[in-house]
Amino acid sequence: MSAGAWLELIASGLIAGGVYALVALGLNLQYGLMRILDIAHGEFLMLGAFVTWAAHSSFGISPLAMVPVSFLLLMIVGIALHRLIFRRLTRTSATLDVFEARGLMACFGLMFLVQNFAQLLWGGDLRGYDFLAEPVAIGGAQFAANKLLLIAMALLFSAALIVVLRTTLLGKGVRALLQSPTGAQLVGIDTRRLHPLMFGVGLGLSGVAGCLLSMTEAISPSMGEPYTVTALIVITLGGFGSMAGALVGGLALGVIEAIGMHLTSPSLKSLLSYGIFIAVLLWRPNGLFVRK
Amino acid sequence: MKRDLVLVLVLAAAALALPFVGSEFAVSLALTCLMYASLSSSWALFCGSTGYLSLATAAFFGLGAYSGALVLGQLPWLLVIVIGAAVAAVTAIVMGAAVLHLRGTYFAVLTFGMTELIRHAVTYWEKRVTGTVGRVLVDVPERETVYFTVLALTLLAIVVAIVVRRSRFGLAMAGIGADEQRAQTLGVDTRLVKIGGFAISAGFAGAIGAAMSVRWTYIDPATVFSPFIGFQTVLIALIGGAATLWGPLIAAVVFSLLAETLRLQLPHLYMMSLGMLLIVCVLYLPGGLASLRWPGRAAP
Amino acid sequence: MTSRRTLIRAVAALPAALGLPGIVRAQGAPVRVGYAIARTGPWTGGAQVSQEPNYLLWAEQQNAAGGLSVKGSRRQIELVSSDDRSEVETCVRTYEKLMGSDKVDLVLAPWGSNANFAVAPLANRFGYPFLAPTALSRRLVEMKLPYFFLMLQQPKPMMDALVDLLTANGAKTMAVVYVDDLFGLENYAALKVAVQGSGISIVEDKSYPLGVKDLAPVLRSIKDKAPDAFVGLTYPPDTILVSRQSKEIGFNPKFFYASVGTAFQLYRNVMQAGAEGVLGMGSWNTKTSAGAKAYFDAHVKKFGAQKEPDRWASGACWASLEILTNAVAKVGLDRKAIRDYVAGTEHSTILGKIKFVGSENVGTPGSVGQWQKGEFEVVWPKAIATAPLVPAKPGWV
Repeated sequence: MSAGAWLELIASGLIAGGVYALVALGLNLQYGLMRILDIAHGEFLMLGAFVTWAAHSSFGISPLAMVPVSFLLLMIVGIALHRLIFRRLTRTSATLDVFEARGLMACFGLMFLVQNFAQLLWGGDLRGYDFLAEPVAIGGAQFAANKLLLIAMALLFSAALIVVLRTTLLGKGVRALLQSPTGAQLVGIDTRRLHPLMFGVGLGLSGVAGCLLSMTEAISPSMGEPYTVTALIVITLGGFGSMAGALVGGLALGVIEAIGMHLTSPSLKSLLSYGIFIAVLLWRPNGLFVRK
Repeated sequence: MKRDLVLVLVLAAAALALPFVGSEFAVSLALTCLMYASLSSSWALFCGSTGYLSLATAAFFGLGAYSGALVLGQLPWLLVIVIGAAVAAVTAIVMGAAVLHLRGTYFAVLTFGMTELIRHAVTYWEKRVTGTVGRVLVDVPERETVYFTVLALTLLAIVVAIVVRRSRFGLAMAGIGADEQRAQTLGVDTRLVKIGGFAISAGFAGAIGAAMSVRWTYIDPATVFSPFIGFQTVLIALIGGAATLWGPLIAAVVFSLLAETLRLQLPHLYMMSLGMLLIVCVLYLPGGLASLRWPGRAAP
Repeated sequence: MTSRRTLIRAVAALPAALGLPGIVRAQGAPVRVGYAIARTGPWTGGAQVSQEPNYLLWAEQQNAAGGLSVKGSRRQIELVSSDDRSEVETCVRTYEKLMGSDKVDLVLAPWGSNANFAVAPLANRFGYPFLAPTALSRRLVEMKLPYFFLMLQQPKPMMDALVDLLTANGAKTMAVVYVDDLFGLENYAALKVAVQGSGISIVEDKSYPLGVKDLAPVLRSIKDKAPDAFVGLTYPPDTILVSRQSKEIGFNPKFFYASVGTAFQLYRNVMQAGAEGVLGMGSWNTKTSAGAKAYFDAHVKKFGAQKEPDRWASGACWASLEILTNAVAKVGLDRKAIRDYVAGTEHSTILGKIKFVGSENVGTPGSVGQWQKGEFEVVWPKAIATAPLVPAKPGWV
């Protein structure tokens, strides 16, 4: 294959990886901070996609405008869910392990609830719409405009999150919590307000990913699950709690998958991803990038 | 223990009589109830007491179904079931040895990953080696045979659960569930106990897989490794009360019947209510619904 | 259970009661026709486009004319149906109930090969003739079940037709992607056999798993090899995926073929002008026969312009209902007699002549369709073509 084709392939992988990173960042924020492993994460991505589609087809609202709307909407949902479910769980769980297990089960229930709610509301048919689907030529390679938008926004949001975490006071508080929950509370960081907010931000990022994906992909109630799984793989690769790890891990996974698909076949791609996943979990349970 | 056994005997008698007095449909419905009853009680046997949430039921079910399909027609029926159980149990032992040292969420996520890995591996192997992707089951046994087999497996699962709970093995698992490190310091070989429990649980799932798949005539990886079977098993066991004996059983029957009734009106409502119930249980009744009746048994 | 039955009966009777009061005069007990179909779950898309609407339309039409003709006397049709949730086990259970307990007069098939595999032996056991319009597998034919009839053309004739079309139009190279599933594998195997000795060489073949999200890398490497023809042995979501992604990356072979789903109205909705020139599995449209046009119009009248029947399985489904109607009119409700009639007669349907050898329909030839100016025309073989082939696909728009 020519060099140009290789570049195209890698770029294609980066685009897919950008979405993975975006979803994984949200998941990582929730797990790293609060030890809530949200396996319903993909379902909120799906909600973001549906809301954008509905707005676009019923009211003609541009998906670009829906990006911040999806974020805010899902963030509110996240804060509400945290208040309703996880706050009580924190109170009633004896140890952190118990909390994690119960949190996992609660998210499991959420997954069923949200996916079937969507099925009830919108039905199982595939939906889709075309937005910015014109091909754009960049140096001999061709990409869809919306795919380029996807990677741009994904990187933008990821970078924004990381910058916020590093520079602002809020971000410092979050990072402190990530490092040491007790210590952070001792220095006066308010977990009661920070936890729901960050859970909400996590879901908000998922919603944005869904909104962006709705431009390029077919939308259906079951579209979220594969992304949850991929996000899990990414945060395993990058390390639970490491934001930069999630970003790099996501992009890397996208490229690995693209090259793998080319060398073998798409059928083996899943085998490859899961194989890597399990290998990393067994060999380096703390992730490839964490320096602990 | 005596009361439990008597109750089991009574139910067994009723279930045995069903094919002779009930309609075809009643038998099919009973079959589904039995399937989930055995799946969820064997799941709860290990996961309920040790607290290790396994999402690998679908993998074991599917492996049982596939191994059964491979030898069906060449071996007697009972041996087919045994092989299904054995393949699943061996896989569980290998899987367990590799991952049971991880705790909690890691374990749950890993079992899920392994299920998908196994599904894709089977698909790939089938495609490459046999050039096909599904198996047509030709020498299918009589429907009554399938019913009695599943009934027998369910009864076996219940009896095993009763016996194990009172045995040292069962107490060791409960100890692991309560506080693993303490169990270790008290001399329990936690690794062996966990692998053993996992294998027993998997064996039942595999046997059920081998038995149920003959009803579908054609099996392919997507159908038998369907995560839905695994999820529903886990949901039922958790809502019923994973640490109890009767919780998963009652829940299995109730939910199978509920699913059948709701199917005609609003099938999504059934799934949504399952999800909702689980959340409610986790929040207010961590021991599941059974803890309403039998409080005191430690919640997972 | 009785209240449910009453409800269904009431609902089934409603259209007749509302539509034509006074004309409806049922003679004797209704004819109970049972089926399970996917109304929820992954099979819904296909089932609700190609199958269930036809069942409903058929019952309505027959009842409006006074009822189904049973050897001359008219009896109202009562549909006894439920959702199988896209689950094989639920399907099996429902049909066991319909045929074993409820003992309905007739049954109609569920959607998809998996469900039909499970239900076919049942149909045989209970002695109910089964005409399946959405089942595709050589293995079903090989099971040699006397009560089971497959309406769709099987992989071999379909792939032969495709290869004939391609060789007649000068294609020399071909790239194939196929889904990791019985459908994909059987068609791929049939395709490989068909190209042997045809002068076409396969330059790339890749399989992909069900539910794949991204085939762009594969399509890019295929584009690099510049084949004359692209053949996708795909399901509706993948059909749309390969079409959209080929457009994205600028992959424009002379012949672009995607299998299931190309014949759906959905394809035209999603691809719009870009659908022009795309080839796919299809065997009829309104120009095929007067009956086909009447059926199309009735379908659109009942379900709206947004729910056209698809140009492949829907037609086969309607044809199966025509055959059933004729059978019952001729021999009544004796199921063995119906089976013998279906197996032994040459039927005239909207698709043309249909005849069964064993379980397989050998009357409808393997065919290829193509989108031309917003309609999916049959372009091969010439005997049933509704329009000539447009020999090179225009660029994607």
